[in-house]
Amino acid sequence: MMALQSPTATRALVVPPEAETGRRKRAPRGSRLLVWVFLAPTLIGLGLFSFVPIIGSFVLAFFRWDIISAPEFVGVGNFVDLAANPTVRVSFLNTVGFVIVAVTLQLAVALLLAILVQSRMPEWLRTFFRSALFFPLVLSAASVSLVMSYLFNQEFGLVNEFLGLFGVGNIGWLTTGFGAKIVVLLVYVWQNFGFTFLLFIGGLAAIPREVYEASSLDGAYGWSQFRNVTLPLVSPTMLVASVMAIISALQIFDQPYVLTRGGPGDDTRTAVMVIYESAFQQLDFGLAAAIGIVLTLLIMLVTAAQFRLSKRFVFYG
Amino acid sequence: MSIAAVTPDSSRRRLATAGKFLVLVIAAFLTLAPVVWTLITALTPANVDTGQTEFGPGAFIDVFQKIPILLYTWNSALVTLLIAAGQMLSAAMAGYVFARFDFGGKRILFGLILATMMVPMQVTIVPVFMLIRGMGLSDTLLALIIPMIPTAFGTFLMRQYFMGLPPELAEAAQIDGAGPWKIFFRIYLPLAAPGLAIVGILAFNYHWNEFFRPLILTISEQNFTLPLGLVTLQGNLGTGSVATVLAGVVLSMIPAALVFVLGQKPLREGLTAGVSK
Amino acid sequence: MVDLSRRAALALLGLGLAGTAISWPRLTGGDIPGRGDDALTVALFGTAQDAAARQSLVDGFQKLHPDIPVRIIAIQGQDWGNFFAKILTMVAAGTPPDIVSVATEGSQLFAERLAHPIDEYVQRDAAELQEYFDDVNPSLIESFMYKGNLFQLPDNFNAANMYYNTSAFERAGLERPRDDWSVEDFFTVGRTMQASAPGSFLPYFWNNRLWGGVVPWLYINDTSFLTEEKAPGGDWMWSKFYPDETPRGGGYLWENADALSDRTVESFEVLQRMVSEGIAANPAQGGGNELVSLFSRGSVGMTPAGGFWVKGLNDAGLGDDEYDVTYFPKMRGQRHQFGAGGYAMMQTSERKDEAWEWMKYCISVEGMSIAHSQPDSSLPRRSLNAELYGGDIGPKHWEVFYDTLDRFPTTGPMPAPPQQAAVESALIKNVVGTITNGPNGVRRGLETMQRDLELALKGR
Repeated sequence: MMALQSPTATRALVVPPEAETGRRKRAPRGSRLLVWVFLAPTLIGLGLFSFVPIIGSFVLAFFRWDIISAPEFVGVGNFVDLAANPTVRVSFLNTVGFVIVAVTLQLAVALLLAILVQSRMPEWLRTFFRSALFFPLVLSAASVSLVMSYLFNQEFGLVNEFLGLFGVGNIGWLTTGFGAKIVVLLVYVWQNFGFTFLLFIGGLAAIPREVYEASSLDGAYGWSQFRNVTLPLVSPTMLVASVMAIISALQIFDQPYVLTRGGPGDDTRTAVMVIYESAFQQLDFGLAAAIGIVLTLLIMLVTAAQFRLSKRFVFYG
Repeated sequence: MSIAAVTPDSSRRRLATAGKFLVLVIAAFLTLAPVVWTLITALTPANVDTGQTEFGPGAFIDVFQKIPILLYTWNSALVTLLIAAGQMLSAAMAGYVFARFDFGGKRILFGLILATMMVPMQVTIVPVFMLIRGMGLSDTLLALIIPMIPTAFGTFLMRQYFMGLPPELAEAAQIDGAGPWKIFFRIYLPLAAPGLAIVGILAFNYHWNEFFRPLILTISEQNFTLPLGLVTLQGNLGTGSVATVLAGVVLSMIPAALVFVLGQKPLREGLTAGVSK
Repeated sequence: MVDLSRRAALALLGLGLAGTAISWPRLTGGDIPGRGDDALTVALFGTAQDAAARQSLVDGFQKLHPDIPVRIIAIQGQDWGNFFAKILTMVAAGTPPDIVSVATEGSQLFAERLAHPIDEYVQRDAAELQEYFDDVNPSLIESFMYKGNLFQLPDNFNAANMYYNTSAFERAGLERPRDDWSVEDFFTVGRTMQASAPGSFLPYFWNNRLWGGVVPWLYINDTSFLTEEKAPGGDWMWSKFYPDETPRGGGYLWENADALSDRTVESFEVLQRMVSEGIAANPAQGGGNELVSLFSRGSVGMTPAGGFWVKGLNDAGLGDDEYDVTYFPKMRGQRHQFGAGGYAMMQTSERKDEAWEWMKYCISVEGMSIAHSQPDSSLPRRSLNAELYGGDIGPKHWEVFYDTLDRFPTTGPMPAPPQQAAVESALIKNVVGTITNGPNGVRRGLETMQRDLELALKGR
């Protein structure tokens, strides 16, 4: 039994789709069956449980339907309405703004901590830090948001009590627009950075030590080493991490829903919240489907843009 | 392996090391503090007679009395484990094919698969419910499991993983007369175990903590998963005790934390190079 | 796990398959008794009662009606919104329940689109129901009428009353306020408590939600955030069952936004003053489990709550002499606000007669007592509240809970038109902005609220 522990195996997460060697393209005889058998569960499964609902949803966007009565065809009416609806506009703006700040923060923090955790220290300490930093992912978003809503309570929460020790006054975390945005942001990043963190550890681990030693001999260290050696070598991972982080952040729902229900006003209302509310509160499933389509298109656009940009910025060793 | 910056100034290095550990300690504190707070609050319920809060397992006992937590945990365990196993298998199979074979329409197919990740769940949940009902799986745990067995993200991850493995192994095995099935099961699948571990752990984490999908897809109380059951603890109009609610949160956290701990080894091996040069 | 030998892998696989096979009944729900039976399906809020209470209710019903099998579907919503999403999904899939427990929030939506009026049933069984109506305040019945028809029979309700911490009062040298204390009295009480309190203390803690949020303060000023009218009709009910009362019409109609009327502005200005003086909390949205512990710790002086709170406080160990309850202060009047709940019969149901039997059972003395054996809600039957709260169970002045309805006959449900979810959202999201931006910010905030309410009521 070959237990491969070479750097090649570990670079697996880092090798991008574009770096195809061409040698694997030769399909052995008799493997046709295997290909289709292996693809079957995923294709059939996604086809049935993802595509059919998505197409159904796409069609529904051109109707007005409240579930109780029959659907009514409205053409592009839903799309016109959502463009004119101030709540929908604000929610999309909030979502985009949120994603820009949250993902940047998430990537920066995850990268920084991954670098620090991978640096020289006793193994047990490394395991401790790595486990602690990954821990928030183990908890459910709803539970976390519930706990955080207690901690950030303006009068009685621990956060204000703690800050009070330093003489900082009672901050209206969840009761002011700005404060609420900050709390939602912090809670989201707190919960989700662990995943990105893990990806970066993998990416960093695949960089052989010799690279650093060589560059040090050339006189590079600290910030310069980071910028010219680490960053380029970690860029493939950065691509995977940022694509996943953005797709996920654009769909944020649990944290604002539990913490603030989108308030105060519409300050923390996000795109998915508007979808949920249109469907289950307004009983307007057609509108919800239409907003869903717009969001999906946005996600696809952003993801495609990232892959396009990656050709310029990502360095494959 | 370490990223030790080789500097001539050793006191500067000491400062850097201190700074490094300070940042890590603060980060670890920030991530663990809310968890610790939750644990402490769950362990200090109000005494029914005096109204004072005191240290004790009362809140945990309360949870066991208020809801059939063992049943809910069992349901969650069945659902999550089967989803994780199903995802590992389906992702390994599909990821392998995308990584190692070529066929018509492969790029488009893969793109379509990825696209399914970009549609929010709230959009598809009602049609899925109707599909489930059409399949006769209404009000069963299978309704929660089966739609989740195919996984776009898992396939993506496993494809990346298989692409990183050398094709020479297959060529060597072919020369020895091995067929494509054997090549997969005997050679590539075992090598991809760390990737499988990642898929499994992430799947477990996500589905263990899910609320909305089980809310919509289950009907009978006996089919509730843990997150659904925990809501009962919040009481009518939010009058349940905080300690009890948080005790429920702690209890639900334990299995997920356990899986994470058990998965540390394969996770580490998947993510760090065991470079022996 | 990386170095898994082939044998171990196969063993693991075998174990997995065996485990799945053994769990098959659990996976397919085959071990659930009564599943798939042709039974009367009742959907209710999972958190309302625990499983044991629900089972007793079913058992009691079956004793009376052994020929009607019942299946309860407990829905674990975190709020009415979740609950309703689940109901909608069931309707969409063609498997709606026969009866649904509906709270005031959803009452008119159900009446308009989903529920079947029970007029004919009530009239048919009038003799049997007379004693129920005799025991129930007409305000509760009125809240479940819609455009002349009756859709639900109330089996629980909660009026928003003022709970106060007796030790905080004693510490401040305060006595129990007069029943008709004024808003200025309220401010004085708040300030006095604040002055004498050690550490972090809040005289008035409240949550920004439809029940017990801003609405009581609007009602005591004889105003609201929506216009309020009475629909015509309903005489069949009033003349038969409440002949001594003036007929109350056919139910509430909340059809227009009214956030900018003078009295509404006035009420919000009072709230703004409360918050800026530090007497009232800046309300975070939603409810709060932590309120119970804050109140029992003595960190909070007063808070609006209904009879449902007695159970929470008891569970937290608060003695019945450590808190008490009184009416909301008087402004122009002392109209209070309540929320109620009762079963609604689905239009789609093919078991309407049996559904009616369930409804009758749940409002009977036996049914109501079983469903609420603990003080987790006030009961529409006047006579049953003594048992629930009397003795040492509830606060000294527990009678306030029901007297609110009898003493202030204009007391009404919180505004809940069919577009309730959108309306509530429009109200709540503008509350904080209205009361935390200084005295001049009140009108500005209400202008936005008016705009949002108009949008919400218009639908599309």
